Amino acid sequence: MMSLLRFALLASFLASAALAADVPALWRERLQSVVAVEFYAETEAERRTGISYGTVIDEQGTIVLPPVAVNPRLTPSQLKDFKVYRPGEPESTPAEYLGQDPLTGWHFVRAGEAVRKQLVPITRWASRTPREPALAEDLWGIGLRNKDEDFFPYILKSHVALVQSLPQRTAILQQEVAGPGLPAFDMEGNFAGLGLSSFGQNYVQFSNEARGGRPVILVNVEESGALLTAGEVLPYLKRVPQNVFGRPLAWLGAYALEPIDREAARFLKLGNQSAAVISEVTAGSPAEAGGLKDRDIILAIDGQTLPRFRPDGAVVQFVGREVLRRRPGDLIRFTVLRGSERAEVEIRLGEQPKLLLEAERQYFDRLGLTAREFVYDDAVMRRADPSQLTGVVAHFVKPNGSAAIAGLGTDDWIKEIDGEEIRSFAAAKFKLAAIEADRTRGECVLLVSRGGDTAVLRVKLQ
Amino acid sequence: MKQATVNSFLSRSIFALAVTFVALVFPARGAGVSRGFNRLLDAVVRIDVREVAFEAGTKRLSAGIGSGVILSKDGLILTNAHVVSPRAIEISVTLANLERVGAKLVGWDHWTDLAVIRLDADELKRRNLKFAHGEFGDSDKLFLGQTVYAVGTPHGLTRTVSRGIISNNRRYFQDERAVNGYETGAFNTWLQTDAAINPGNSGGPLVDEDGRVVGINARGYIGADNLGFAIPSNIAKRVLEGLVRDGAITRSYIGVVPGALQDLESFYALSLNTGVLINSVDPGSPAARSGLRGGDILLAIDGEKVDGRFREQLPPIQNTIASRAVGSEIKLTVKRGAETRDFTVVTERLESRVGEEWALEKWGLSVRKVSRTFARENQLQSADGVVVIGTQPGYPAEVSGLKRGDIILRANQQTIDSLEVIKAVHEKFSEQPEPVLVEVQRNRQISLFVIKP
Repeated sequence: MMSLLRFALLASFLASAALAADVPALWRERLQSVVAVEFYAETEAERRTGISYGTVIDEQGTIVLPPVAVNPRLTPSQLKDFKVYRPGEPESTPAEYLGQDPLTGWHFVRAGEAVRKQLVPITRWASRTPREPALAEDLWGIGLRNKDEDFFPYILKSHVALVQSLPQRTAILQQEVAGPGLPAFDMEGNFAGLGLSSFGQNYVQFSNEARGGRPVILVNVEESGALLTAGEVLPYLKRVPQNVFGRPLAWLGAYALEPIDREAARFLKLGNQSAAVISEVTAGSPAEAGGLKDRDIILAIDGQTLPRFRPDGAVVQFVGREVLRRRPGDLIRFTVLRGSERAEVEIRLGEQPKLLLEAERQYFDRLGLTAREFVYDDAVMRRADPSQLTGVVAHFVKPNGSAAIAGLGTDDWIKEIDGEEIRSFAAAKFKLAAIEADRTRGECVLLVSRGGDTAVLRVKLQ
Repeated sequence: MKQATVNSFLSRSIFALAVTFVALVFPARGAGVSRGFNRLLDAVVRIDVREVAFEAGTKRLSAGIGSGVILSKDGLILTNAHVVSPRAIEISVTLANLERVGAKLVGWDHWTDLAVIRLDADELKRRNLKFAHGEFGDSDKLFLGQTVYAVGTPHGLTRTVSRGIISNNRRYFQDERAVNGYETGAFNTWLQTDAAINPGNSGGPLVDEDGRVVGINARGYIGADNLGFAIPSNIAKRVLEGLVRDGAITRSYIGVVPGALQDLESFYALSLNTGVLINSVDPGSPAARSGLRGGDILLAIDGEKVDGRFREQLPPIQNTIASRAVGSEIKLTVKRGAETRDFTVVTERLESRVGEEWALEKWGLSVRKVSRTFARENQLQSADGVVVIGTQPGYPAEVSGLKRGDIILRANQQTIDSLEVIKAVHEKFSEQPEPVLVEVQRNRQISLFVIKP
């Protein structure tokens, strides 16, 4: 009898211990999985510090940063001096930038040897069978203060308000639960999800000067109430880029995919599914070769009907991800609605042509101009023939520099220099370098194209 | 972008103003005002216009006031295109004797900002109304500093005379939308005067001391002191004749956008005062098809040398091309690099970027036909479709998601190659309301929307 009672007491003690887990202790332990990452972004005009929060994913010190960590206009060669800081530590360790994964959008960084043994991968805290956060479930997560406070860690806590497919499973909490890129956990300390960049919140701002309130959207950039659920994170942690550009990169060639709204779907009798219309099939692309047409409405991929998303717009990313999760050379089959007919189109995905980020570029100081190689996407954006990639793009025009004063604008397409047609980036580089080197020269003349019109610009070099 | 502050001077509100006409005394040279001048005053009219606008998803009426000058015994009146346009549904002319007479549009030409209306002959006869008419002077003979007078209805103040001089007789002013959204100024230069020109002066004459019409006042800088502009009479005379004869001025188009060569002669190895820079060639235009491109130098048109060193020289050159018969061949001598060669271009009819407009009122949707020029400018694949220029909140078009600037390409699978196609779909909807599927291009994105009853 006595022993029975003792057992019952022990059991209830254990049960209550499980219920009220020591969250601060769990938090302290899991801090080993988070870091702050600092780097410099060097452009023609300035050198700017970038700071992002990251989560450790493996024993090699690999860290994922959220997609927004790096301005997409910057090339990897402009990103310098990556450093990793542990929470609350003023000292940093150098790190290496590995590149961006096109599917998840994550940037990958690898911390130097010195700090690796102090880091613990997030997978350590993942349960073997990750479950989706339940409605009203309490979750807690990690936040980091700014650099001037040594990235001092703190704890956030909230409950799940909604779980949505956007198209990835996304938990939206009642308030902020983690820094963007930092993990959140359930009350047992199991990894629950990764903080996304925050959603904006609507407020009405009142002021003494203006009568009535003014609606404003405020975004908390340091903390987020939205999580990419563990099930959408863990399977993708192996996608460490093989190179800084994330190649190989599957290529379809469908420009501007637009969602079909509910009313149009009902009109087209599509039932309870999503669909997306292809605005344009780009010239020379796998989509063109495989027989997709402008205005085709995608209904299914490999026989799988596109699931219904709310909002409708999520279908665009869904289709994009279906392409990007495949590899160049893979087959993908689309069921499309073309006019009133259904058609099956099978496409062998290609390798993406040279990206804007991969395009060569060079800054010419006397002209105040960065010339960039004209690549496939440039041609698509300018409705030019992408089989003829000639001329160069004014990637950066220095304010009040010679080229700017002559009227050159960013993204203008330079087709001729001093009356000579520019057929390659090398030719442009040679020509511009010669102009800059010639100190006796007073001017040069550019033929540029902007929005289909051209103009002759006279650049004075003095 | 360019000279955005230049405003057309049409007073947009109706003034119910009691105008007391005071005898005007001019401190002019010598004995005072000539007989011709007094006669001219009796030829200047006030024009009240009611016109229809389609912008907000419905037909709306608006009213404006301008000026004009009678130029013939049978009551032809010259005014501005931005005073009277084909959208006018009611034109009322106040003669010098303060009698009001109805008038009808004879024709308009937004390129020169001129319109011609004709007084209602029956009404004139029935009421036995009398009026004087003005005469043209030679605008080519005007000299800088010459005294001129502006006569008109500034701010509704009927028969106001202001005095100034010719400040410049060859002012360049070109604008893509200065005449109620239509292009103007590509084919003529303007007279500049410091005679006070205010809203409502539009369409009134600029006259010399003998009362001869040397220009038609059209615009001025808002916020500046007395920078006014008028269309020279020698151009106005030709346009008047053309509009009376044909109801419209037909011009030729080849698609070259000229630029002033100023400072670039040495780069192109040209002697001074030779050639016009071709800044741009419209994609798909006759010039583009014949192989011309931006950066070429135009040396001669049909063997006739051209000089486009300064931008003031460009409108007459453009006018040389525009004056050719539509469909005629023009030989352009062009220098490209070291090479000089001839290109033969067959002209097309010049079209405005602004197509015909309509309001599909059951949908609360205002549209404008995509013109060939609009399609080229916006790099559209064809000239099919209508542009949304306005929606009425809460009406089917706005509820479906259509927005201003969208291009509706198809409705219920029918390609909209004319305004009639969408009018017919709308008509059917009005009789028997059923959902209509429209295919829309917004920037370059294609979307489908459903217009529901």
